Amino acid sequence: MTENNSNAAQNIYKPAIMKIVNRHDEAPGVRTLRLEFQDPLDHELFKATYRTGMFGLYGVYGEGESTFCVASPETRNEYIECTFRESGRVTSALARADIGDLVTFRGPYGNRFPLEEFYGKNLLFIAGGIALPPTRSVIWSCLDQREKFGKVTIVYGARTVADLVYKHELEEWMQRDDVELVLAVDPGGESPDWKHRVGFVPTVLEEAAPSAENCVAILCGPPIMIKFTLISLKKLGFEESNVYTTLENRMKCGLGKCGRCNVGSIYVCKEGPVFTAAEVSRMPAADL
Amino acid sequence: MTKILFADKLDSCVERWRSAGMTVIGPVQRTNSSMYDAVKSASELDLNLVLADRSIKELFFPQSEPMLRYNITKSEINTSEFLPPSGPRIIFGARACDASGLAIDDPLFGWDYKDEYWFQRRNESVIVTIACTKADEFCMCTSLKLAPDSTKGSDILLRPLENNKGWQVEELTDRGREAFKKVADLLQEGSDPAAATVSVPEKFDADACAEWLKNPENFNSHFWKEISLRCIGCGSCTYLCPTCHCFDIQDEGGSFEGIRRKNWDSCSFALFTMHTSGHNPRSTQSARWRQRIMHKFNYFPGKFSANSCSGCGRCTRECPVDMGITETLQEISKLSQ
Repeated sequence: MTENNSNAAQNIYKPAIMKIVNRHDEAPGVRTLRLEFQDPLDHELFKATYRTGMFGLYGVYGEGESTFCVASPETRNEYIECTFRESGRVTSALARADIGDLVTFRGPYGNRFPLEEFYGKNLLFIAGGIALPPTRSVIWSCLDQREKFGKVTIVYGARTVADLVYKHELEEWMQRDDVELVLAVDPGGESPDWKHRVGFVPTVLEEAAPSAENCVAILCGPPIMIKFTLISLKKLGFEESNVYTTLENRMKCGLGKCGRCNVGSIYVCKEGPVFTAAEVSRMPAADL
Repeated sequence: MTKILFADKLDSCVERWRSAGMTVIGPVQRTNSSMYDAVKSASELDLNLVLADRSIKELFFPQSEPMLRYNITKSEINTSEFLPPSGPRIIFGARACDASGLAIDDPLFGWDYKDEYWFQRRNESVIVTIACTKADEFCMCTSLKLAPDSTKGSDILLRPLENNKGWQVEELTDRGREAFKKVADLLQEGSDPAAATVSVPEKFDADACAEWLKNPENFNSHFWKEISLRCIGCGSCTYLCPTCHCFDIQDEGGSFEGIRRKNWDSCSFALFTMHTSGHNPRSTQSARWRQRIMHKFNYFPGKFSANSCSGCGRCTRECPVDMGITETLQEISKLSQ
């Protein structure tokens, strides 16, 4: 083995070094980090390639790398934000890291939400629990160029009031008159002062009954929520080809080589993570 | 008249290549198993093996490969990269199935993102394949539309002479020609006939299997459970396979210094696809065996126009419970009739 400091051949497994410039606790065990590139070249590459929907591998040397979405929008690419639940080795290490500490990022990888195809259309965002981060990247990407889209509706539910993430941004969306925000918590998850809906996302969605006319739905959540929300969307008249979602599978490389993230013949890392519900329904359900 | 390399000149060739700075590698018998390894002289080579126990893959994609060394201080992360050992290599006495396996994996390591660990080694290696004159009951190259004298992935093909005294030399690539130029004076023109390659009977109908695998209904067939009941998930078949390429990335060391490694991984392992949440898309051994077969004979060909199998038969030869790809594809051949 030779060891080399020069970058003769590009090493696709070498991550960019990122500095934590801000962190924010969203919910119990859920934290957002804002990261800044240390190498301007890495940053330029990111700015040139990042589009909403793409993901990355966030890492801490000594612990490893974990795959999750870029939670910040493509319209704000001076930094990267990620939101994660502290649950494994890497996320625990990320949670321990302080402002000023250095971590790593590899990406952005994968496909994106086709925003141009959404121009002029109404947008319905539906998210459950910790799945607001990938949705939030799209929401801000659209709100930052608000004039290009029609009506924007956001339906967001979590188990309990405490589990709602991005509370400050929910407040902001609530105030805006060009966004309709429907908030819900699961029955039993409400606090005494809870003023919003109580119920599961599919039920709340059906009550809100947004029109499917000229509308694209962007749906992210745990598999069980997706399953039942798709049924509700169908009732509301949404075509599967107008419903977008993201798949998340375990990954090691993110580059189509390590061989584990496929659902049937589809490599989530390369052909995803963004799929239409029509595409997902063509995948073998037993492999999801 | 063809170019002939006589066996008694092989040692001089090895010496010549070595003095030209090439590492000479070939099939050798080691304590526990036979494998491709570096040699100093031709006498170390065991060219009579039907096939080395361990595949050629590890020469290009080692079982554990250091990629990055990290060193962390309060204010800095210093990393240095490990690059594969540079310098030309000649692999003498590869088998056609092993050489084909490398060519099969080239597009995988190259699509969009190029894995330099693979390609640097590929670009610096000359592969000299010897056509097979013997096979065992597990060999199945012909079922995969390959043959004991396939040239896929090889730079030179040697055909053993009938009299067993050497090999006819077929130069296939510039890289091969270049390496054999160095030993040109040790080769002779001759008309000694080549021995017939071994006849390897076809064991299954690969086309019929591919059709069956493509049918979405068969994804949920009971067949998968039945055929994989005795799989113990040891992963031997994947490690021995010349085309299995799945890997893990792990850090070895502590919070301040250590090494990031790329290690072989296996779709046979339950943890391979396990989510942090505990959800596992392939939570049963049968789902994992289905993935292995589907990947090799349906998904991979769909993407790269070749089966991810070169028919070496190691998966079956070494399986501790006597399973393997052969049996599964034979059964699928029957089902698809």
